[in-house]
Amino acid sequence: MFHVEEVIMDYLLHIVPIISEGLEVTVSLFFVVLVLSLPSGILLAMLRLSPLTIVRRIVEFYVYIMRGTPLMLQILFIYYGLPFIPYIGVQLDAPTAAVISFVLNYAAYLCEIFRGGIQSIPKGQYEGAKVLGFTYAQTMRKIILPQVIKRVLPPLANETINLLKDTSLVYILAMNDVLRITRGIVQRDFDTSAFIVAGVFYLIMTFVLTNIFNYLEKRYAVYDE
Amino acid sequence: MSFIEMKHIEKSFDGTPVLKDVSLEMEKGEVVAMIGPSGSGKSTFLRCLGQLEIIDGGSICVDGTYLAKSEGTAKAVYADKATQQQLLLRMGMVFQQFNLFPHMTVLDNILIAPKMVKGMKEADILPTAERLLKKVGLWDKRDVYPSRLSGGQKQRVAIARALAMNPDIMLFDEPTSALDPELTGEVLRTIKQLAEEHMTMIIVTHEMAFAREVADRVIFMADGIIQEEGPAEEVFGAPKSPRTKAFLDSML
Repeated sequence: MFHVEEVIMDYLLHIVPIISEGLEVTVSLFFVVLVLSLPSGILLAMLRLSPLTIVRRIVEFYVYIMRGTPLMLQILFIYYGLPFIPYIGVQLDAPTAAVISFVLNYAAYLCEIFRGGIQSIPKGQYEGAKVLGFTYAQTMRKIILPQVIKRVLPPLANETINLLKDTSLVYILAMNDVLRITRGIVQRDFDTSAFIVAGVFYLIMTFVLTNIFNYLEKRYAVYDE
Repeated sequence: MSFIEMKHIEKSFDGTPVLKDVSLEMEKGEVVAMIGPSGSGKSTFLRCLGQLEIIDGGSICVDGTYLAKSEGTAKAVYADKATQQQLLLRMGMVFQQFNLFPHMTVLDNILIAPKMVKGMKEADILPTAERLLKKVGLWDKRDVYPSRLSGGQKQRVAIARALAMNPDIMLFDEPTSALDPELTGEVLRTIKQLAEEHMTMIIVTHEMAFAREVADRVIFMADGIIQEEGPAEEVFGAPKSPRTKAFLDSML
C-alpha cells in the first residue's frame, strides 16, 4: 500500500535534520550579537545623554547612519567595502563581518530604546541618590538602570525577536544559516515544503524568546512605580 | 563661628534671580523653619545646602569646612570633590515627592546607601535599620515595595533612609506638601521627635502650626529675600514686616 501522508512525513523527517544544521549559525550569531549589542546600546545611550554637545552629536550622527541605511547594505559594506578603505581596510571573514555589522546596527536601535528609558526616570531619583552620597556610576548602576530595564522590556522583546529573524540576512555572505540551507533544499528538490519547516523553526525560537520576556516582565512586576 | 554659615547666597535660573543675598547662621541642635509663598526661593536655598543647586555667589560653611566661598564679588568657588562629598554625607535630605527607590523593598531602601556609599556590611547596618524603621513605626513593612505604602508611610521611610546615613543635619523640603491632610500628622510627629532629640534641622514648610510648634526660629522668605526672621513666637505672634503679616493672614 502507498500512503501520500507517509511519503510527505518521510520527506519532512528527512529534511528536518538538514535544516537544523543551520541552527548553529542562526543561534550563535543571535546570541553573540545580543550579548555584545546590549551593553553597547546602554553605553551609547549614556553618551547620547552626555552634557558634552560634541559627544551627543557624534552619537546622534552614528544612530542616524545606522538606522538610515539598510542592514543588508551595512553587511555588504563591512564585508566587501572595508578592504578598499585606505589604512584601516581589512578583509574580514564572513562570520566576523556579520557579527560586526549586526552589533553596529543593533546597538544603534538599542541606544534609542535605552535613551528613552533613561529619560523617563524622574529627576527625583537622581536627587534622592545624590543626597545619599551616590556617585554618578553608582546611581546609574543601582538606581536608574534597574528601573530602565523594567520600562524597556516590551520594546527590547521586539528588537530581540527582530534580531533572530534578521540573522537570515547572512545568506548573502554564504553563511549556512537555517534559511540558506532551506533555500538549498527547495532548489534541489523542487519542493517548497522546506520553507514551512523553516518557518516552524523560527516560530519555535520566537516562542521561547516571547516566554523568556513574559517571565522577565512578570518578575519585574513585583513593584509598581 | 556658627555650625552652619550661609552668607550672601546668590542664585539665578536663566538670568532670573531666585536668591538675592540670603544669609543664614545656625547653631548645632537648632531647628529652623522656612516659610513663605511659593516661588520665594526657600526650597532653592535648602537645595543649595544639599548640593542639588550650585550657588552663583556667597559662601557656605558647615562646622568650619567651606563648601563654597566667593572672594569679593567673584563667583563662588567650590571645594574639591572629596570635601563636597564629606559635607554631603553630613546632611540628610527629605523631599516633597519622597524619591524612594521603587524597585527596592522598604528595607533595601534603608540599606542601600550605607552599603554602597559607606561600604558597610549588611549585618552591621541591620540593627540601625531595624531601630530606625521601628522608630518611624514601619518595621513590619520592611519587605514591602514603596508603591504599596501610603504617602505618609513613604515619607517616614524616606526619613528613616536619610537617618540611616547618620547625618548631623536634616533638610526637609516641604515634607508634607504632597500628602493628604489626614496623613501629614504622622510625618510631622516623626519630625517633631527628631527635634526633641536635638537634631539640627531646616524645614521648608507650609504647615504654619507645625512650624510654630517645632521651630526655634522662623524665617519668612519672599521674592528671594529674607523678609523677617526671629523666634517662632515673635514671627507668628507679632510679625514686624507687613509682608509677613499679609502672608500669615492669608494662610489662616
